[in-house]
Amino acid sequence: MNRGRRWALLACAALFTVAMITTASSSATTSQRPSWCGPKKIKLGFTDGFGGNSWRLVTTASARDEAKKCSSVSSIDYADGQGNTQKAISDIQGMVAKGVDALVVFPDAGKAMLPALRSSYKAGVVTVPYRVTPGGQAGRDYNVFIDTPFVDAGRNWGKWIRKVLPKGGNVLMLSGPKGNSQGIEENKGLHQILDPTKKYKFIGEQPFEVTNWDPALTQKVLSAAIAKNSKIDVIVSDFGPSLVGALPEFTKSGRPIPALATSDGNVLGCFWKKQYKKNPTFKLFTVSTQNDHARLAIQWAVALASGGKKPASTHFPSLLFEDSVTGKPNKVQCRANLPGDIYLSAQLPAAKQAKLVR
Amino acid sequence: MPITGPTEPTYSIPRGSRRLLSRGLATVLIATVGLFAISWIFASSSVTRGTLLTMLPFASALAVASLGQTLVVMQGGIDLSVAGGFSLYVVILTKYPAGDNDRLWAALVIAFLAAIAAGSLNGLLIGRLRLNPIVATLGTNALLFGVILWYTAGIPTTTTARLHSLGDAVWWHIPAPVYFAVAATAVVTAVVKLTPVGRRFEGVGANETAAFTAGIRVQRHRTSAYVWAQLLYCLAAVLHASVVNQPTAYEGNSGGGAGYLLPTVAAVVLGGTSLLGGRGNLVATAVAALFLSQLDQFVLALGVSYATRTLVQAAALAVGVALYSINWRRAFGRFGRRPATVAPT
Repeated sequence: MNRGRRWALLACAALFTVAMITTASSSATTSQRPSWCGPKKIKLGFTDGFGGNSWRLVTTASARDEAKKCSSVSSIDYADGQGNTQKAISDIQGMVAKGVDALVVFPDAGKAMLPALRSSYKAGVVTVPYRVTPGGQAGRDYNVFIDTPFVDAGRNWGKWIRKVLPKGGNVLMLSGPKGNSQGIEENKGLHQILDPTKKYKFIGEQPFEVTNWDPALTQKVLSAAIAKNSKIDVIVSDFGPSLVGALPEFTKSGRPIPALATSDGNVLGCFWKKQYKKNPTFKLFTVSTQNDHARLAIQWAVALASGGKKPASTHFPSLLFEDSVTGKPNKVQCRANLPGDIYLSAQLPAAKQAKLVR
Repeated sequence: MPITGPTEPTYSIPRGSRRLLSRGLATVLIATVGLFAISWIFASSSVTRGTLLTMLPFASALAVASLGQTLVVMQGGIDLSVAGGFSLYVVILTKYPAGDNDRLWAALVIAFLAAIAAGSLNGLLIGRLRLNPIVATLGTNALLFGVILWYTAGIPTTTTARLHSLGDAVWWHIPAPVYFAVAATAVVTAVVKLTPVGRRFEGVGANETAAFTAGIRVQRHRTSAYVWAQLLYCLAAVLHASVVNQPTAYEGNSGGGAGYLLPTVAAVVLGGTSLLGGRGNLVATAVAALFLSQLDQFVLALGVSYATRTLVQAAALAVGVALYSINWRRAFGRFGRRPATVAPT
């Protein structure tokens, strides 16, 4: 009897301790509620103009991950426009009809998306487009546009080039389709930093060689550029991973791989680790490929809809990621056991990204 | 018995199907040699060793895919599903092994089985159900892209090291894919030109009614053209996936700039095979693929803008079509006679 009571007491004490720990930890989570997460319960929508590549998958997962940090978000709906402007527009209308309180939009089609954004805004939904400018005005056509200054990426590359090639040299820039605004802005930034020194010569088609961000075309364009220019000191590209197949063109022509200023990707980091000993001129500098841009857009949308504190800025900065020369902010990263299509600069853990793209 | 296409002028020089140098082959050979000469004079960087080592593997893949398109065109058809098929085989070859060399053989088998399935579908629609080839293959193309999206969600995968070592290999100073293209051209040409089944195949394309009357199974030959075409696209995809380190999920559509649809049709036309069907110039098609690839590299080396590059390629195709489809003798004849008719007044 006595023994039984003692056991019962012990069990009660144990239960009490467990309960205490659980409450403490749960109160710890609530106390970690981010400042942008307000008290009002909301339904969140997220539409993508095109969702079919690894970068988009990681970006979408990052957006979900960010939204889950806020307990006021009761549901998250996602729609993929599949590169079809018509579908992207009807996706937005569908979200409004479903009754979402806040909507984050990646308006790939640019200005064509403005009427849909405006109607969503007019219907009282907190509307936050990001990354691609839809034109229009914040406060009239949508709540706020979360942009990223691509010109800053160009400036960052330019600053690094001045450090690793202080005596000047020939610069070859590669970007996507002809006239894409991202490439033009980045080129502007490069010129802002490099032109005042008068030591750097831009070679190839201006403002950039057209590659459509296509690996096979990049290969052809780069081999032509290598044959045409006996001296290429640095390559600038806004899509680093697409260069991995093309850089061996230098080796084929019996020349070392030059310095490279670009954006990050696991496949590129691993390529550098394999090649840098054979190619002493192959210095690598990357800026973040900015999957976390979506997180800032989510924070804004949630803050505005749930009554949280607005984030400090509407700009997502161009962040430095790897530098093979100084190792700052990071050394070149490679996770050889994970797929090439993941982005180690993203907040989302590498293993989680690997699951997404496999 | 010489078999001639229905569109060929009857008053031209006597011809036999086994002549060494057909008009198409002679034209495209002269054009290609001329292009290399022009490249050497005006943009010597487009004929350096490094550039040729890049251009030739792409030319090989294009040549093999164009052979497939030639077989279809010989049957009076056209295969618009080349982009879908090609892209699908590339993603199977990269995504299924996902970097694991041991799974490459299985991926090859799956890709070739998929090619047979896609070809049989085209063959069924066109050979048996007598659908218009443009409509039927366009439909198949959409279906194949659907399968690609379902399988990959559009995400590219890096080529396996073993496959990439093939694309990178240089045997006796020549990139390995070239040997595959030459072998494929030799085998397909030999089968079509020298074997009874090949002669019947060409006969069906030249004159369906005559072939039917002669007791040839027209439907079976017509269907087989689409299956063999897809198998050749699959071989081309193997070469392409070995050359490009991280092919996209849409290589057939946009890989290397123009993808594989327009260039394969252009190679067939430049090679002198009539789009109305009949006798095919397989060797000429392969040479035309080399011509188109070098043209691409030459214009790139000239350093002209992207817009001009696109225009030059379009112009080359227009010239190619004009060479074969306009009756120049009559055109010049009319031009020459004009003064005589004007004179009396």
